[in-house]
Amino acid sequence: MDPERLINQKRLVAFVGTGGVGKTTLAASFALEAARRGRRVALLTIDPARRLADALGAGPLDHQLREIEPERLAPPRGQTGGRLFASMLDTKRTFDELVERFAASEAARQRVLQNPIYCHLSEALAGSAEYAAMERVYQLSQRSDFDLIVVDTPPSEHALDFLEAPHRMLALLDSSVVQLLVHPAFAAGRLGMRLFARGTDRVLRLIERVSGVGFLEDITEFLLAFEQMSGGFRSHAKQVEEQLRGPGSAFVLAAAPSPAAMRAGLELLSQLEAQSVPLAGVVLNRTHPWPGDAIPAAGVAAGDVAKLAELLAASAPTGSAETWARTALVAADRYAAATRAEREACRPLEARMREIGGFVRRVPELVEDIHDFDSLVRVATWIFAQERERPA
Amino acid sequence: MTGKGGTGKTTVCAALGVAGARGGRRVLVIETGRSSEVPSLLSAARLGTSTRERETSSDGVETLRLDPFDALAEYLTLQFGFGRLVRRVVAHRGFHQLLEGAPGWRELITLGKIWHMVERGDPLSRPDLVVVDAPATGHGLTFLDVPRVASAAVRAGPLRRHAGWVEALVRDPKRTLLLPVARPEELPARETVELVARMRDEVQVPVDRIVMNAFDSPPPGVALAELEQALKRADQLAPNEALRHAVRDWRVRSERSEHWTGELARATGLPIVPLPYEPGGPAGAESFALLANALLAPESPAP
Repeated sequence: MDPERLINQKRLVAFVGTGGVGKTTLAASFALEAARRGRRVALLTIDPARRLADALGAGPLDHQLREIEPERLAPPRGQTGGRLFASMLDTKRTFDELVERFAASEAARQRVLQNPIYCHLSEALAGSAEYAAMERVYQLSQRSDFDLIVVDTPPSEHALDFLEAPHRMLALLDSSVVQLLVHPAFAAGRLGMRLFARGTDRVLRLIERVSGVGFLEDITEFLLAFEQMSGGFRSHAKQVEEQLRGPGSAFVLAAAPSPAAMRAGLELLSQLEAQSVPLAGVVLNRTHPWPGDAIPAAGVAAGDVAKLAELLAASAPTGSAETWARTALVAADRYAAATRAEREACRPLEARMREIGGFVRRVPELVEDIHDFDSLVRVATWIFAQERERPA
Repeated sequence: MTGKGGTGKTTVCAALGVAGARGGRRVLVIETGRSSEVPSLLSAARLGTSTRERETSSDGVETLRLDPFDALAEYLTLQFGFGRLVRRVVAHRGFHQLLEGAPGWRELITLGKIWHMVERGDPLSRPDLVVVDAPATGHGLTFLDVPRVASAAVRAGPLRRHAGWVEALVRDPKRTLLLPVARPEELPARETVELVARMRDEVQVPVDRIVMNAFDSPPPGVALAELEQALKRADQLAPNEALRHAVRDWRVRSERSEHWTGELARATGLPIVPLPYEPGGPAGAESFALLANALLAPESPAP
């Protein structure tokens, strides 16, 4: 399935990848193009660069969805433009909204919101950004005014953090240790639980000995209040998870063409495959194309300096044509070395993608940083370009 | 060492390891992520997947990947002495579920283990210098801030005391230095500025310089922009398009290097240590020797 079909047939497209590969830019560019082609799109970004936010032209991005002026979308010839709304993930706000919504009473709500552990943890909790992103996806997918939701995921070494974070949080609430903390009397009253609790009790005693009295009390108070709301969390997490794995969703892997990033990319790919997550393709971001495809072997600089110098003589300052020629050839050597290393690094991931029938797209590094609407559109032309078989 | 993803902080860790080892110091490079990259960078012998075994590279750099679960079991055993009970607790399913979702403990136990190696380890195997490949910027802040948060959140007991020791270590300019690694691009530069500000204001881990990885310099005596124009005009040459691409790439890289190094220096007031860009990325002992030299180069004043 190519990017063009993704925007027409999917309801949710998530960009995954390790940090620093340009996921946010690719997601924004993809969402923008989808809107230009007539879809009503909601874009959820994680931490966009200020210039990217400026480039979208919706003002500073925050928790609220903001519409990008439809006139700016300038749809391709013959197409009617859609609409584009963008927002940035605000983990704390998302959590606070959940608490407001699911707290059983005003008192319970205040207890959680003012609990010092909550204040600290809602941002620092392992996977809290992933959890919040999931919750936002849930909220957006409940709305009928969007055809397509484009999600940028929090950077992680592990693609599945995004999918698994809700599980981990729920497992924490469900864990026997937490249950014993929260409902000691209840747990003690059941025979099975009592046997079960013996090991658990030992865990608690150990924690208590390390952390001192008081710590567990604070934690317990927090968990007790939090647990009352876990039903709401649970149903949302389950629905989003089903949606993400369902036929209406697709994942796109964003990867940088460096050896380390490629190893990480391959690792993410196999994790996604193992979980049978629908992976549509990969976008190799900021590549360095060599025009004409045949990268010369090392030693361009040893080429015909005299001939090049002759050609440059008209432009170069007197007496420096040869230095200019040599410099150009050194530049070519450097560039060829970088391009060769890049292709070498990308090969295994590309091969793997072809095996599973996913698309491979390359977005060359732009000379300028992404700073305006046009540069985002330019990135999109590469994502949506037809795949071209490269000579082996 | 910390830095935004993609800045090459792991490479810089390995290079710093090489620099230390060449200076005759016993260096241990510790990785905190899920995979270990340094041994393959430094062609260290692979000794299985154990996270307790240190590996030694041909450059004499020891490397280790720290697994928080192992470190926790070790800590608890040290605390209570009974290995069997601890093993049973650590293997307990509920305990695992608790740890999977519980915040902060991984960072704390990792730093605690490092503290133990540096302050209490067997003198025979104690490293002179520990280089920690800390999590990427955002998480890197949390990583170093956890001891402070823990000693504030826990009221009493051994955990509070130990967190205090670790906090003292990471804030002590005599023993600890945080090296932020940046790249000459907008996002990594911006994140580095934010990191330095928060380190100064909140976390208070000493920072005295910034490493600018992949710093490119223009060739001496040739204005690349003019050369680029000249190539555009001389279009009879066959590989001209490739030459133009190549010259433009060099120009853009060196312009960005100068621009973002200046911005970083201005915004943080810190000296910047440039590490030379290598086309195709650093590979092999020669590259790392080069990077090690650049790291050790005498400090130049902020531009």
